[in-house]
Amino acid sequence: MFSAQGLLRNQDRRRINGPEESFPPVFADDPQPFTARKGRATLDIRPLFLQPGLISQANGSSYIETERTKIACSVYGPRQSKNTTYSEKGRLNVEVKFTPFSCERRKAPLRDAEDRSIAVAIHQALSSSVRLELFPKSTIDIFLVIIEADGMEGCIASGSIAASTALADAGIDMFGLVMSCSAAIVGSEIWIDPTQEESDAANGSLVLACMPALGSVTSLWQSGRITPSQVLSCIEACESRCTDIHSVVAQALLDNAHIKNTPNT
Amino acid sequence: MASSDALKAATFQRLHPRIYLERFLEERVRPDGRSIDDDVDDGERWRNVEVNVGSISTAHGSALVRLGNTTVVCGVKGEICEPELDNPDQVPNVDLPALCSPKFKPGPPTEEAQILSERLNQVLIGNSLIPLSSLCISSGKSVWVLYVDATVINYDGNVFDAALIAMVCALRNVSLPHAEYDLELDRTICTRPGSDPSKPAKKLVIQQDVFPMAYSFGVFAGSRLLPDPTAFEEPLLDTTISIVLDPLAKVLTLSQLGAGLDNGNHVLEGDARLDPARAKDTLTECINLAKKRHAVLIQKVYGT
Repeated sequence: MFSAQGLLRNQDRRRINGPEESFPPVFADDPQPFTARKGRATLDIRPLFLQPGLISQANGSSYIETERTKIACSVYGPRQSKNTTYSEKGRLNVEVKFTPFSCERRKAPLRDAEDRSIAVAIHQALSSSVRLELFPKSTIDIFLVIIEADGMEGCIASGSIAASTALADAGIDMFGLVMSCSAAIVGSEIWIDPTQEESDAANGSLVLACMPALGSVTSLWQSGRITPSQVLSCIEACESRCTDIHSVVAQALLDNAHIKNTPNT
Repeated sequence: MASSDALKAATFQRLHPRIYLERFLEERVRPDGRSIDDDVDDGERWRNVEVNVGSISTAHGSALVRLGNTTVVCGVKGEICEPELDNPDQVPNVDLPALCSPKFKPGPPTEEAQILSERLNQVLIGNSLIPLSSLCISSGKSVWVLYVDATVINYDGNVFDAALIAMVCALRNVSLPHAEYDLELDRTICTRPGSDPSKPAKKLVIQQDVFPMAYSFGVFAGSRLLPDPTAFEEPLLDTTISIVLDPLAKVLTLSQLGAGLDNGNHVLEGDARLDPARAKDTLTECINLAKKRHAVLIQKVYGT
């Protein structure tokens, strides 16, 4: 029998399917209301761990972890563009994928467009740093897998850092490394690098991407209610954090290059 | 000079992968340095396994497994649904994202991912690793369903073995919040772990005697048996053999795709073909090698 409900089924024959309907657990009590920032000062970022070159199959790769946010990134290319007409400049292609278990609610494949909006933001942050004029007819593919997410702004920021590091690891010409940092306005305070629950409580948020070595901003995303003076102080705070992150990333890349060039016999 | 030699070797490997591998095997060594001799230690025949459990806080259970360079991360999410006869209670899926290898493009699951998911589904469901009673919240009204999703981060061959370890370790790590079915509201209410000491989160009950472990082999050129093949070796293999063992080293699942070694005779060394005393059946040999490795690995991976 073919019922109306049968038509509604999420029948994806290419995957093992679950039941027609299932729901995430509903809790009797709401989570504790959020009041003050715990564990770090308002202008502190979360501790950052970065490891270039973990994915052996890729031309360049990196893995970044800022407390609960965990992102793996790999770069393939420059390789031949497929199905595209001749172009003098190379094409930068960014694809972001969430693992189904990366968020509080399970992310069934292809349900929302959140991954695409993050991909666009990361593309924006990187595109002016890569010397695409050196790669005619080619594509540089940047793939990111978000293993665990804790705040969308943090994902864009960490994702941009991971992607720029992976590009450097792949030996692709750039003007400079792109660093990125996010900020949120909670009450009247500026909180740098907000977590998911912090950005839920925020009036507005901002993601800044810049090249600290050149002192230029590559991308700036602002959403929500923020006064112009707050925007300016957010930018200033984010820029100084980016300079700090830049030295960490540069050191990680240098250490990795030493390991690569030392013969392992 | 040394770097240009390395470049020459890499070019040769890409242009003539088959001859490249043959030359290595003639020297009784595999490209990644493992030995193919009969009398070596297990550690020199198989790649090292590392397991890291419970590092993902958004999943109810998780595991990261590294098998040599192959890296698989698996997360389990529990959801609640109505029990029905044709409703599955565990939904294992493998994702091979474009990130993990240049072989894959972004988009729907590839054929390889579909086959892997189905094979893992058969091992997990077919051996009833998780008794149905442990997923029951209220009989006939409400049950847990477990979404077991494995994502490959680095594809360096033998993903089946790595994904099976990742899935079983993630399931062992699962801790579900306390759930109660409310008859009046006709819905299931959970308690946040840690908020009420009388209603703690519960660990999943798993059949200890069916913890499966997989061991895969490849046959190269009809004469060489390569345990735990890498991504470079896999496309050159004629035959893939997978053996799944339980903790007591009994065979749970066995699959052989392709022909065995020449004449059904096992030839690890070139001249063994001439010695009938050393000729063995391919599958028997694989099972023996798997059992030897199993004795070491079962403690390391599932050790209590």
